[in-house]
Amino acid sequence: MKFVLYRIFLSISFICIIGLSFGQQHIVVKGKVIDQETGVPLEGASITIVENPRSGSAVTGSQGGFLMKGHVGQTMRVSMVGYHASSLALSLDNKDLLIKLERNINALSEIVVTGALGIRRSSREMGTSAQAVDNEALNLGKVVNPLLALSSKVAGLRINATDLTTGKTDPGIQIRMRGTRSLNRGKNDPIYVVDGVPLPDITRINPNDIAEITVLKGANAAALYGSEGVNGAIMVTTKGGRSDAGEVNFSNSTTFANVYLLPPAQTLYGQGQNGKYSPVANESWGDLFDGSERDFGLPINGVQPRKVYAAPSKDNRLGFFDTGITMQNDLSFSGGDAKSTYFMSLQDVRIKGVIPGDKSSRTGARFNGSRSFNKLTTSYNVNYVFFKNNTTSDGPWLSVYTQPANIDYKEARNWEDPTSPNHPLNWYTPTAQTRNPIFMADNNRNTYDQHTLNSKVEFTYDFADWFSATNRTGYYLQTQDGRVTNKKLVSNISTRNINGTVNDTGGTFNRLNNDLILNFRKEFGDFSTKLLLGYNIRMDNRKDIGIGANNLLLEDIFNPGSRTGELSGTAKITKYRSMSGYGEFTVGYRNYLFLTLVGRSDKVSTLDPQNNTYFTPGVSTSFVFTDAIASLKDSNILNYGRIYASYNRTGNVTLDPYSLNLTYSQTNGFPYGGLFGFLPNLTEANRLLKPEFVTSYEVGTQLSFLNSRLNADIAYAYSDSDGQIFTAGMSRATGYNATLVNAGRLVNQTLEVMLNGTAIRKPDVELSFGVNFTYTHTQAKDLYAGDSFQIFRQAYAIKGEPYPTLQMSDFLRHNGQIVLDKNGNVLLDEKEQLLGTMVPPYMFGFNTNFRYKAFSIGLQIDSRLGSWMYSEVVPRMYAAGTHPETVKYGREPFILPNSMVKLDDGSIVENTSVYSKGDKDWWTKYSNVQTITAAKADFLKLRELYVGYTLPAKFLAKQNFLKKASVGVVANNLFIIRHSSNEIGDPEALYNQTDGYASFRQIPTSRSIGFNINMTF
Amino acid sequence: MIKTLYKISLLALLACTTVSCDDFFDVNVDPNSPVEETLELNAKLPAALVVSANYEATMLNQIGGLWGGYWGTSNEGINAFSILKMYNGPGIRDTRDGIQLWESNYNNLLYYNKILDQAVAEDARFYIGIAKIMMAYHYFTLVDFYNNVPFDDALHGSVVLHPKYEPGKVVYEKSINLINEGIEAIKVASLLPTNDDVLFKGDKVKWTRFANTLKLRALLAQSEVPGQAAYIAQEISKIKAEGSGFITEDAVVNPGYLNTAAKMNPFYETYYRNNAGVAVANHTNIRPTQHLIAKYKEYNDPRLAQNFVEVKGDFKGVLFGENTISDAYAAVNTSAFKGPTENGNKPAGFVKAFNQATVIISLAEAHFMLAEAAARGWVDGTAETHYKNAIQASFNYLFNVTNYDISAYIGQDKVKLEVAPNKIERIVTQKWLALTGINNIRAWHDFRRLGYPYFPNSATATSPDIYPLRFMYPETEMNTNSANVQKEGDNGVLTARVWWDVK
Repeated sequence: MKFVLYRIFLSISFICIIGLSFGQQHIVVKGKVIDQETGVPLEGASITIVENPRSGSAVTGSQGGFLMKGHVGQTMRVSMVGYHASSLALSLDNKDLLIKLERNINALSEIVVTGALGIRRSSREMGTSAQAVDNEALNLGKVVNPLLALSSKVAGLRINATDLTTGKTDPGIQIRMRGTRSLNRGKNDPIYVVDGVPLPDITRINPNDIAEITVLKGANAAALYGSEGVNGAIMVTTKGGRSDAGEVNFSNSTTFANVYLLPPAQTLYGQGQNGKYSPVANESWGDLFDGSERDFGLPINGVQPRKVYAAPSKDNRLGFFDTGITMQNDLSFSGGDAKSTYFMSLQDVRIKGVIPGDKSSRTGARFNGSRSFNKLTTSYNVNYVFFKNNTTSDGPWLSVYTQPANIDYKEARNWEDPTSPNHPLNWYTPTAQTRNPIFMADNNRNTYDQHTLNSKVEFTYDFADWFSATNRTGYYLQTQDGRVTNKKLVSNISTRNINGTVNDTGGTFNRLNNDLILNFRKEFGDFSTKLLLGYNIRMDNRKDIGIGANNLLLEDIFNPGSRTGELSGTAKITKYRSMSGYGEFTVGYRNYLFLTLVGRSDKVSTLDPQNNTYFTPGVSTSFVFTDAIASLKDSNILNYGRIYASYNRTGNVTLDPYSLNLTYSQTNGFPYGGLFGFLPNLTEANRLLKPEFVTSYEVGTQLSFLNSRLNADIAYAYSDSDGQIFTAGMSRATGYNATLVNAGRLVNQTLEVMLNGTAIRKPDVELSFGVNFTYTHTQAKDLYAGDSFQIFRQAYAIKGEPYPTLQMSDFLRHNGQIVLDKNGNVLLDEKEQLLGTMVPPYMFGFNTNFRYKAFSIGLQIDSRLGSWMYSEVVPRMYAAGTHPETVKYGREPFILPNSMVKLDDGSIVENTSVYSKGDKDWWTKYSNVQTITAAKADFLKLRELYVGYTLPAKFLAKQNFLKKASVGVVANNLFIIRHSSNEIGDPEALYNQTDGYASFRQIPTSRSIGFNINMTF
Repeated sequence: MIKTLYKISLLALLACTTVSCDDFFDVNVDPNSPVEETLELNAKLPAALVVSANYEATMLNQIGGLWGGYWGTSNEGINAFSILKMYNGPGIRDTRDGIQLWESNYNNLLYYNKILDQAVAEDARFYIGIAKIMMAYHYFTLVDFYNNVPFDDALHGSVVLHPKYEPGKVVYEKSINLINEGIEAIKVASLLPTNDDVLFKGDKVKWTRFANTLKLRALLAQSEVPGQAAYIAQEISKIKAEGSGFITEDAVVNPGYLNTAAKMNPFYETYYRNNAGVAVANHTNIRPTQHLIAKYKEYNDPRLAQNFVEVKGDFKGVLFGENTISDAYAAVNTSAFKGPTENGNKPAGFVKAFNQATVIISLAEAHFMLAEAAARGWVDGTAETHYKNAIQASFNYLFNVTNYDISAYIGQDKVKLEVAPNKIERIVTQKWLALTGINNIRAWHDFRRLGYPYFPNSATATSPDIYPLRFMYPETEMNTNSANVQKEGDNGVLTARVWWDVK
């Protein structure tokens, strides 16, 4: 009926508009294409008129909008890779159309990924590899830091936490994609891009706000970013509002963490020296624990404290740690209509660390919105995060593992009582390094408040269906106010003294980033072309100031104003500027063969004007052979297959500002009143530095079998970074400690295999899995003057060896047997030993999801094999007598099994009679042989486990309030299998930007378990 | 649409025109620190001299205190300085936990070398002279610890990445030549430093005397090496010909120490008290050895009570290297360093005040060296006179007076040089007693050179005749210059000797 009326109306109109058109009426249809499930705008969907395919097609813009001319009555078809196409008849009231596309789960392999500059692209046209991790996978373990949540989920990507697993409250991250390109340890991070804007850091982003993370692997995929993309890109897309319905989400997650994998300690001998008990000794070189009651420490107010001389059955060191608690509360609102969307979220995270008193909190809000006006689309994101951190230093744990096994750290918590033996003035030992660790933690506080504002404004104007322009401005501001305090303590034994100190710091960093991007697309017969031209401006400004007082007068006033002596202070300003022009041209043939050319020219402020401009070219191609070869079409076994290849030569500048000139500064107490005195920087400056270049190749294939029930992605990548800018340590006899050079060459070869599939897919049961495997071989080729280079402590770059290689001093050996001198002391081999690589060449990730009706189980298993690590905790435990090895021979002189002896005449004979002393002195020297601190770093761990229950729809059917609800149990690091040689700790926990290195500061790893609740209204 | 297009192009224009591209990139001039070229010599010299003084006061005194027989540790300090107490060579060479003597000396040499280069360019002769003399001072230190070290190849930055080692003897000779050149340069200088010369305030004669004294020290160091007599005589004759003689007052650095953390006299701040007047950990950890106290007592030496605190009516020391806790070695039961707090707020012996000057070469040491040189017949004058002057200078310095009456002390047969069976041994023994807490390191060097005065070795040593002989080449050097290190072969602390150690 309606239709008939419509026709009549049409006819009348036609009659009225005489002669202007024949047959049908022209209309302009405006609309927006979104994902039916998530409401996310779909960019790159193509819109055609079925009846008239030659009239051309429209493609949706960045906010899913399109504009299409047609005739009333024609059929408009909207299609997009990975989605079922949708058609509708055009009519006059087709104004602001909202077209929802349904995902085609059979086309999983043809994903749309977030490419460089945040442009959504079909993976079929990319000549490089990318892997996406969606919100659900990212938040499986309810990890606070989004980067850690990526761990083991992406082939080719290695992520290590330096602090989360070590229990501190603000994890540091080491991230390496496809190996290591720079010998500068701190210059191997990928670029982080959030909604198209490059940011210096994304650890403060709420993982729940993230719709998806796409990892663009290597310089090839991130070629448009030039230098910054040389290590790949982590593209974060935050959630937008849905264009149809409003939604409110609430979730809570609470987890409890406990330390594990403590380095083992001996529990047989207690405090003392040379086998004799001492009530005031902090070292475990005393006599055997015998359960007797003995004097402990010095008399307090004339009363001698006594203590049972025995080690408890439970590891006393655990008494030092608390149970860490992480509580996350999330609330988000989203909604929208055809013209505008919004997403708003609030998050509060509270972390209580495993070290008593350590805590942090993160409170953040995000507002993402978009609005379309005719041909103009605007979007704006604002994210504000307030992070507070309050921790102590490394001292307490070091104190714990060097003290005897009978110290009770639970009891040590009552240190504030001045009559308690746990009071810092009464603690049994006066040694500064082994104070009451609970007191140490309470007394030394490191706090900071950090505000991060991250905002973006974006305008896109669709000039025509083949041309649009986008201007995107990002502003990032981070300020940090910090304070480090030590409370004053004065004793008549000066080793117990602590200076009252306060150091106040303030830092501001801001970045203005602007990209102007012109997008052209046009189809010519069988060929489709896309051209992107862009222009980037970057301004980074940083200012750090600090003032401090090293001697406060009063115990309770932490202010530099209440000090004795002069005020100390520093200020530092750094500025960085860059400008770049870039372009990408893609031509496609019949939608199965693609060729892309990329180029970018960068100019940076940190190099000399003579050398500061450089060009980065790249080319890539992709071929979907299952579409091209007729015989392969419609195969059920191999339903999709493509191969791709790419080549890039990326210029890179890793140099910090102000490194071209030798600067001087006042140190060593200068100025002394009117006397000033300057000393040179000990890193030699170099004006002639040039950009370094990384050449990379990649080939890969993407295959889907059995209607995409099984998908495989295999890629091989090669990168060669030559002429690196790095700070090369050099002989101090040169006068300097290091020099800045263009030298050194690292070659990376990586093989990545990803498999994912769905084993069972039934209404009630679903089982899916994903496996990823990465082989990484990083090799040092040419080095700066010589074949060997020290990178950090025992980590070396050695020509022809995997990078970094563990090189250590070893015992003098004869056919593998340890050679002692005639007094039974260890001898060092004059040549150091190469043990092997310190980064895992083999990495496996395995994840699976099993759902049965309302129950689901998800787990993530991670294994990394083939590397070495070492620990600096080991020698300290030997010296303190807490290492289990020191009790192996009953603390008596002994003949070292399987050893030999070097006689005066230089001959080496089997050791049958030479006793080694086996005292502190002997074991300390033994522990200075570095190879005893090394272990194989192989491990397999259950990284994340989630068991959940979703409230079935029928329970929710009777009301309109609650739409979805689920509860779950979540666990991290539940178990680990380590190599038998490794009693050091968690191989994954690193110290700062190091590899395979556990510092003596490192506290043990934690494992956590907790629950979470999600509700959608 | 036109409006938007306009806006976009305006923005692009803004980017490239209003901010001219050159200005835009012109942000790479460090706003925080001056560069080499903008600083005058007088901004560089004081810092280099103060660093030299700092290492003399702390690093060298620390090593010399323990290895020269002066210091041990109390119960509280049982874990402190264990690498030195155990003669743990690999521990000492360790970059982080060891002693960065090699590194700090070469860095310090770079500071002087930079001054030298600039002074040569500006023809500032006085600065050329100071730089050369101070470079010699640091090279002597390096050879005394490491024997063969880079000299010609050193200090060229990345131009010579793997500096070759030269024999210690050659480095000594070249350093003595540096001193000779330095003296020449200073003598003809027209532009004189002023307050920036924190050692001698631009006094030509004082610098020349200091240079001669430093040279005498280097010549005495090789006294026992066979075949050096002619060389020594030749260089002594140069000193005589030059004519300025030797230092007549303590050669001290004082930049104007302030009562502020890190701006105080480094010895005072490291071993005594901080700027709040609170004792530092070392004041509890470090104690004189029983041997030092016994020697002072043996000579009825009033300097004992001037340098150390009495405990329960007596002076008590510790055993160097002892690693068993015992009541006798508790800090409260042993004699601490005496400073103004224990001396009625008046300067005590080697601990005087937060702003006491740092001694590079003391007048006492100069006279003891002259006494030894006289006893060896190298210089004019009698050994006895120099010996007396030396003891006088020591007492004057430690008692903070200009003419302490030493007649009673020096009149003792045990002290009197005239009756000494071995004059040089007596001279060096008195030198050992005089320099404690001032230039401790001389004691270890003299002991290696001459084998006296005797002091016990570390209590943990496996045999009583084991003494440390040198430092191993540092880990940094093994890491960055390993081929040259390996050419040197054995450099063990207990097994290899420096070139002048031939006893």
